[in-house]
Amino acid sequence: MSERKDITTRQESISERNIKIPTVAPLVDIYENDEEILLHADMPGVKKEEITINIDNGRLELSGIRKMETSGATGWEEFGEVEYQRVFSVPQSIDVGKVNAELSDGVLKLHLPKAEAAKPRVIEIKAA
Amino acid sequence: MWTRVSDIDRMFGAMNLLHSRMNRLFTDYDRSYGTDAGWRVSGGTPKTNMYDLGDKLQVVAELPGVAKEDLNVRIQGNYLELSGSRKSDGPEGYKAHRIERGSSTFTRSFTLPVDVDSERVEAVLKDGVLKMILPKVEAAKPKQITVS
Repeated sequence: MSERKDITTRQESISERNIKIPTVAPLVDIYENDEEILLHADMPGVKKEEITINIDNGRLELSGIRKMETSGATGWEEFGEVEYQRVFSVPQSIDVGKVNAELSDGVLKLHLPKAEAAKPRVIEIKAA
Repeated sequence: MWTRVSDIDRMFGAMNLLHSRMNRLFTDYDRSYGTDAGWRVSGGTPKTNMYDLGDKLQVVAELPGVAKEDLNVRIQGNYLELSGSRKSDGPEGYKAHRIERGSSTFTRSFTLPVDVDSERVEAVLKDGVLKMILPKVEAAKPKQITVS
């Protein structure tokens, strides 16, 4: 009976070591009016291709990677490559299809429009 | 048994991953923007990097939300001063839920390792990052000495 199989065989590879860049949370401002929720996030040095915004089941996940090319001898270095990542809860009343974002001067502006049903409505009272 | 180096590496890698995940778990709810990561624009001074490229210096500064009209760069000899302000970009008619960014004014000055030619300095502000190329003055440039 030789049912034993060698389950521990595994290829050794150097690529198993992955270099992780630090993850930080971007600073944000959050505003709201009757029409939408507006989120401003500081993401200096992040290109718009490197930003991903996922909204799923009331969870807004924001992430962006800053890549930096450096050359020469370092005199001092206070910031480097970083992954900005932050998760928010968003109300279900957001119209996910109409969410839009813009990036200017390293600031991401994310517009989260509210669904029609969630907008406040003025009810007129008719005179009897 | 952990006999191979890659196994040990992998174990530590997994532990680090777990550690960062755990950190994220708590901080996702409400991050306290303290001094821990050191990434905050603390005290209103922008973070900078400086590189020596041989015949010139490169200074990079993190300035999110600063318009180029609101930024001043002064150079004299080996003295560099960055100053400016960030205007609040809070829109009208909105109720603010959370303000972490805000508006600020900042000034930061540096003593560069060598004198630079202030006439030929190039500065580009893109995606909230200021990149400056500061050519060194002739006297400070590295010279090739031929051994005779």
